[in-house]
Amino acid sequence: MASAASRSRISLANLSPARGSLHKQKRVGRGQGSNHGGTAGRGHNGQKSRSGAGIKPGFEGGQTPITKLFPKRGFVNQNEKVWAPVNLERIQHWINLGRLSCSPENPITARELLLSGCVHDVHDGIKVLGDGAEFLTSEVYITPSRASKSAIRAIEDRGGQVVCKFYNPLALMDCVKGHTDHIAAAPTRRQDIMWYSRFQNRGFLSEELLKKLGDAPFVEERWTLLSRQLGKWRKQEFDVEKKK
Amino acid sequence: MLKSAVCSVFYFGSSSLMVQIYLGPPLISEGIPLRTAPSSNVAVPVARPVYIGLTASLHRPHELKEPQFVALNPSVFHHPIRRDILHLCVNHYRDSLRQGSANTKTRGEVRGSGRKIRPQKGSGRARLGDAQSPMLRGGGVAFGPKPRDFSTKLPRKVILMGMRVALSSKVLEHNFGVMKTMDWPSGKTRHLSQKIDSLGLKNTLFITGEDEVPTMLRRAIQNIPLVALTTSKEVNVYEMLKWPRIMLDAKAVDFFEQTLCKMHSLQEVSVTSGIETVA
Repeated sequence: MASAASRSRISLANLSPARGSLHKQKRVGRGQGSNHGGTAGRGHNGQKSRSGAGIKPGFEGGQTPITKLFPKRGFVNQNEKVWAPVNLERIQHWINLGRLSCSPENPITARELLLSGCVHDVHDGIKVLGDGAEFLTSEVYITPSRASKSAIRAIEDRGGQVVCKFYNPLALMDCVKGHTDHIAAAPTRRQDIMWYSRFQNRGFLSEELLKKLGDAPFVEERWTLLSRQLGKWRKQEFDVEKKK
Repeated sequence: MLKSAVCSVFYFGSSSLMVQIYLGPPLISEGIPLRTAPSSNVAVPVARPVYIGLTASLHRPHELKEPQFVALNPSVFHHPIRRDILHLCVNHYRDSLRQGSANTKTRGEVRGSGRKIRPQKGSGRARLGDAQSPMLRGGGVAFGPKPRDFSTKLPRKVILMGMRVALSSKVLEHNFGVMKTMDWPSGKTRHLSQKIDSLGLKNTLFITGEDEVPTMLRRAIQNIPLVALTTSKEVNVYEMLKWPRIMLDAKAVDFFEQTLCKMHSLQEVSVTSGIETVA
């Protein structure tokens, strides 16, 4: 321990940076020895050797640039949804490994699929697809955004239940994060209302589905209310004044 | 029991006051005495506390009759020395001190009109615009300094490591002391100066753990040359390196151990952190 005392103390005078951590700045136009003197890396004459902004990016000297050669095409659909697909064999594999579990009280939602690693990103919602339906053996209770017909058929054959719920971006975030303080909004667009009112899609607004499920644990009371309100258009009639 | 474990004795301060420092076997450098944790197969380095002899207080030194020891957290006071981290911290601090007020006038700011000095062609001399061009005498500066901020950012955890390294370097050089309190009753400089001389504590930075420097002590100490006083919250790596010796309060030791402790990777072996004096 005497060596520590005999060496001069660590002070402001004997600090140095880690080897290789600092790199000298490239300073052009400062003499021949620096290899960057004289024309300072710009060559001789020409537009590029002058001071100022230079040519704008994408300019090709007057030739039609590649960004203008080809015509514009189409439009971008603002209502487009990207569904995160998950196949039945993947869900079954996860259940076999014990990474996913479901029951009528706790159906599989986007949150369980994301946290267990069954899907890596929920995008605009989950769509259950029917690939590998022959491997599905357990009863699955799942509430995705969408489900394919073969998936619905396979799940119900094994005794499970699919109910497709409408999730807008806020509702999906609340579902994934596990927040329960907000009520999920009902669909407002006509296309969504029509889709979720169909029994063939197992939409949560369809009368037939709600009647079939009855008092199942994962059915919310709000669904019957919404189904009645959003289904009023079927029985509505409009008084048309007859021209006299 | 503890005194027999001390391996070496060093003089600290004047000859009348002997202080013993025991640093256990090296922890994180090569030759670590590994001991497997009881419940797993993972080998974890053992952490032994750093023992420092207590220095006599400024006010009532005679109360300290027998040598007393304090056990300090090794992750704070026996950290491996990293000079490059200290270099980063000192540079960051000195950058923050720069005033950055150098200023020059460009050709647009120099007072003068925009009149063309001589015609473009015909005079046989170089072409010139206004008289404020940097080419001319009395013109503006071409790329001169402007007021700017020279402060740099350094990750918070690098600064914390710098504090740990600075404290550990002082411990390693035997330029480190701990006092129970730094109370001083009167604001009289003469008595305090005599006391500091008799304890041999010149060239020392006193660090208290109080929120603010106590008034009496501040008044007494501020005119004494080669001695300074700060709080543990305001001290920085630059000051700890600048001063040859540092003296800590009991509260300051607690403060540093709380804010700087990193015991996650070390297995604790009956570490008595803080000022638990072992007689």
